[in-house]
Amino acid sequence: MDLESARLIAKGLALFSMFGSGIGEGYLIGKALEAMGRNPDVSGELFSRMIIGVALAESTAIYALVAFFIL
Amino acid sequence: MGFIDIFRIEETVPGVASDVVFSIGAFPVTNSFLFILFIAVLFALGGAYVVKKFTLVPQGIQGGIEMIYESILSLVTSITGSQKQSKVIFPVVATLIIYIGVANLIGFIPGLTSLTYQKVSIFRAPMSDFNTTFGLAFALIVVINLISIKDFGILGYLGRFFQFRELIAGFRGGLKTGFEATISFLIGLLDIVSEMAKVISLSFRLFGNVFAGEVLAVILLGSIAYVVPALWMTLSILFGLIQALVFGALITAYYSSSVKPETVEREGH
Repeated sequence: MDLESARLIAKGLALFSMFGSGIGEGYLIGKALEAMGRNPDVSGELFSRMIIGVALAESTAIYALVAFFIL
Repeated sequence: MGFIDIFRIEETVPGVASDVVFSIGAFPVTNSFLFILFIAVLFALGGAYVVKKFTLVPQGIQGGIEMIYESILSLVTSITGSQKQSKVIFPVVATLIIYIGVANLIGFIPGLTSLTYQKVSIFRAPMSDFNTTFGLAFALIVVINLISIKDFGILGYLGRFFQFRELIAGFRGGLKTGFEATISFLIGLLDIVSEMAKVISLSFRLFGNVFAGEVLAVILLGSIAYVVPALWMTLSILFGLIQALVFGALITAYYSSSVKPETVEREGH
């Protein structure tokens, strides 16, 4: 196997970690919606906390994307 | 595919390193550096305008800026949980959030990134350069650790990572608490790695969002240049603002966990 094809296979394999990021974000948003349903008064605050949490959970997917572009 | 070409715009995918526009002696001036200076000059002019023209009763744009100020202040206070800590960290965090927000949004002014000088564009989104984000994250984490040293003293600061005192006290209490103390000792050692992980995660999150946004915008323009890039640019605006907020909120959280927690005082009013 020469270097170029190994590099392309590595580029494809690096994107596998986006799997976990999608699952984690879905779980987080689901929990936030459930909490909003239980206590609609704090909806606004829960929503802004959820956005910060989603951005944090997205970070491993972003690392994978950067690795993809660098490879 | 000759007919499809009218629907595409060809551009080169930006590289990870930014291009050098000119050199002052041995110091290369890159296009992201020029843009950082440009935005800093805009901020200085904006600051001068605020100091001269703002009145006690807000009118016009002053109301908008005060709204941004109040919302960032409430975010910082809700994360730190104490007024004293938020007064210390608020200027830095508010500047960070507004600077990163403006830096991510100013690329949407048409024509600003197309100015070229000898075939090299002189402006590039500052957060799409890894040097910028790494410098910011590294300097902030170093300063937060220095503040922690100032608060706890150097022995107290090292005692957070090397928990010898808790280890000895745990084993004096019996074997079971000794094992728990060993585990917390190992976790204290892992905290050293976690400090470096903070720098890397902060810088890579911001860099990855902005850089990948730019590369995907170029790829989208290369396939369909009408309507579809507008959707991607809308997402880019949203993500740029959210990443600025997340950066500031994380710096606040790291600061708040590295100083002495404030004792609740009873106030007489």
